[in-house]
Amino acid sequence: MKESCSEEYFSFLDKIFDHSNVSEKPESLKGIRVLDLSRVIFGPVVTKWLGLFGAEVIKVEEPEEGDDWRTGTYWAKYWKDSCPYFQSLNPNKYFIGMDLKKLGAKELILELAKKSDVVVENFRAGLAEAWGLGYGTISQVNPRAIYISCSGYGQWGPLRFFPSWDLIAQSMSGMARLTGFPGKETYKLQDYYGDFFPGLLGAMGVMAALNYREQTGKGQFIDMAQVEGLMRTMLNWTYMSVVGEDLERTGNDDPSMAPSGIFKTADGKFVAIAIATDEQFLGLVGALGRTDLAEDKKFRETFERLKAGNAKELDRAVEEWVFTKTEAEVISAAKTNSFPAVPVMDDWQLVNDSWRRERGSVTLFEDDMYGEGIWVDSPVALEKTPGRVKWLTKPIGYHNRYILKKLLGLSEKEINDLDEKGVIGYWGNRVGQRPPSYWDLENDPIFNYGNKK
Amino acid sequence: MKADSENTQVFSKHLTGKGTLKRLSMFDKLLTEMMGSAEGKPGAIDDITVIEVSQANFAGIISAALLGEFGAEVIKIEPPEGDPARKITPYGKNVDGVGLPFLMESRNKYNVTMDLNSSEGQEDFRKLVNKADVLIDAVKPGSMDALGIGYRQLKQLNPGLVYVAISPYGHYTAKAKEFHNVPDTDLTAQAGSGYPSLTGDPAAEEPYNYPIKAGIWAAWYMSAVLATTGTLTALMHKRKTGEGQMVDIATNDAISAWQGFQLVWGFTMEQPRVRIGNFDWCLFPYGYYKTKDGGYVTVAAAQDADFRGVLKILGRWDLEKDWRFLFDRITDDVENLKKLETEIKKEVAKHTSKELASKSLAYSAKAARSRLRSKGFPIMIELKTPPDVLKEKHWQIRKSFQEMDHPVCGKFMIPASVPKMSESPPRVKWIKCGIGEDNEYIYNKYGLGMGK
Repeated sequence: MKESCSEEYFSFLDKIFDHSNVSEKPESLKGIRVLDLSRVIFGPVVTKWLGLFGAEVIKVEEPEEGDDWRTGTYWAKYWKDSCPYFQSLNPNKYFIGMDLKKLGAKELILELAKKSDVVVENFRAGLAEAWGLGYGTISQVNPRAIYISCSGYGQWGPLRFFPSWDLIAQSMSGMARLTGFPGKETYKLQDYYGDFFPGLLGAMGVMAALNYREQTGKGQFIDMAQVEGLMRTMLNWTYMSVVGEDLERTGNDDPSMAPSGIFKTADGKFVAIAIATDEQFLGLVGALGRTDLAEDKKFRETFERLKAGNAKELDRAVEEWVFTKTEAEVISAAKTNSFPAVPVMDDWQLVNDSWRRERGSVTLFEDDMYGEGIWVDSPVALEKTPGRVKWLTKPIGYHNRYILKKLLGLSEKEINDLDEKGVIGYWGNRVGQRPPSYWDLENDPIFNYGNKK
Repeated sequence: MKADSENTQVFSKHLTGKGTLKRLSMFDKLLTEMMGSAEGKPGAIDDITVIEVSQANFAGIISAALLGEFGAEVIKIEPPEGDPARKITPYGKNVDGVGLPFLMESRNKYNVTMDLNSSEGQEDFRKLVNKADVLIDAVKPGSMDALGIGYRQLKQLNPGLVYVAISPYGHYTAKAKEFHNVPDTDLTAQAGSGYPSLTGDPAAEEPYNYPIKAGIWAAWYMSAVLATTGTLTALMHKRKTGEGQMVDIATNDAISAWQGFQLVWGFTMEQPRVRIGNFDWCLFPYGYYKTKDGGYVTVAAAQDADFRGVLKILGRWDLEKDWRFLFDRITDDVENLKKLETEIKKEVAKHTSKELASKSLAYSAKAARSRLRSKGFPIMIELKTPPDVLKEKHWQIRKSFQEMDHPVCGKFMIPASVPKMSESPPRVKWIKCGIGEDNEYIYNKYGLGMGK
């Protein structure tokens, strides 16, 4: 395809995607209400997507216990009496504390479900149904409801009651043995890919169901199995059925790209390079000053180049070249000669990356309760209805009054009665559950919603 | 399927009661029906037409496949010589010139050739876009615009068009412009998200101490599903207002912008994470351990109580009292963690994977009956290989894999569509990969090719 860089095109796009006026733009999912009974990561990221794009997400937690990630931590880190990781998983949500085991709680949940468009749960398979909070019950009171159950193995089949976490799902899908050098240690995919990827597929399913409902008025049930989500990304099944053997782990080579790898530069940094096409290969050998390689019949054509021995030979040539160049030199050559090369970034670079700030996927954000912080924002950019973080999390039960009064029309007295009976409740005095120490709860208009001072 | 001992579950009494059995049996009926064939059911977006233009970019190819699985009519446009993605395949393995990833993701598409560099091709393209709802642009940023068929021009033609751009650094920002010429791959997109810098062991010898990439196309798949979910979100706005828009995905940002933990760590620690081998930064034990039979077992103990359960199962309660490990949330003291890890490795290696799996299940079952629920639920399971997974009865019952029988490519296996949905299930109707295979059908349907 013809190469050209049009100044006007890029400045036009800079204008329409300008991140500074995101809050003035409309939201795709405004008016969609989500009842979120889920916890940890897999379920909560389904509703994270919906909340980012404007849905009203009501997260129900057990009083004084709450979502496990509230009190979870990494290297003993907390921030303003909260777990920052929990903050990043649950922005834009309303937090109510309700003990489902108490008489009367189920009725409240069903009232909320009647007024909701989407219901999300990730209990053990069948548990919500046994409680009378499953799709069977909710679809009777609200036939337009889209109900998604997130579980390790799905709601059906002999493994359905088997426990699952991200790591277990990676093991059960066969993915666990695919990362690392051959013959060396095998590694998991980090930062709970086994939750985040299936969770995103769950959000995709809900979005498809909302599109369907827009046409037909019909709700439906969605069975999102974590392990099936991971299996969907693996080429092993097709490879085994065609080639007759399994794909083993290959370290930093992508066996579908030759050459490919992560290479060390002269200034001690790491750069990833992968060549997918003949055109990119020509660009690379130009940069290497090795146009002879493009003449060689071992490398001239993609399928030949990809053969294990040939690919290795090319990897070595790239390795030697990168070792004599700085990171900046390698990246500059990639720009000039048009081949894929990107520096291996780290966490601290991501936080300070001006590109990400300009893009709006990472924002310096001012929260009404937690103040200023740098947070991950919308993962995709929508020009006219962009996703956005509006607030971080709140303590357990913070929105009890706001939601129960506004949506269900309960009075202060009724709410206090429910509190007394333990049907609804609040945070325990633990880090991760309670408000930050500086917060003036008595004068908080949302926490005290509907109460005149 | 009849309930057998494996799938009978006793639920605790306090929440259930009258009506439970009836509810569960009705739920089972719904599920049985869902596990059957999708045939005859509508797709979620049967009313949507998608055009895919991608060049050696599987994020675009997979994203279009997913929309096709949900029922959209997907027209893949290729140059006469075909998309170079056809040749992206492990070790060059192919069926009749088609690489295996391309085979696996050519789901429910119509393959059409069109020379977008020619004015006739561009005219046909405009005609097609006029009737379409979604365009996926996974070629170099700005190149469609340079041909006069980019977002600026097409939105005039079709204001309802959802224009989805997929590229390494996106189509806006200074960096997007600077790097518009650098193509996309999964490996470089993993690097751009900082994903390999989380994996590996800095103490190993060169080059095994390097950052290590994920062994699947972690960035391409993440980007594809972000693109599809973003498209479906933009379509909701279109259904309400008739308005199209541009959706932009940067593959170099996909993993970090969705998983977010990297930003949380960087912001609160003000430094990058140091790679710590097979440890997790939040949980311990949470990883893979070698067993007596030469296999691996996965040990996952998320909570403090679970960790104590692991010590009990392994018969090493003595470690609980050891001052070096005498605190919860031990992951911040890597040196002592390594000592504890050595002990656990030693114990695990005395057992087979099966022994440990059954011990942990028995322990958890007993713990579940304890009223205080303070004994934890440690999980130990055998690490499955892909061939093990294919044999698993559970996935056969759920039809999680689908065997395709293609007139040219023969029989092969693909993972089925996810998730399972009761009213408008996604599904794979066909796999087609011939270059220009559907020219006649699509050209006739849309009245194209008149200029030739």
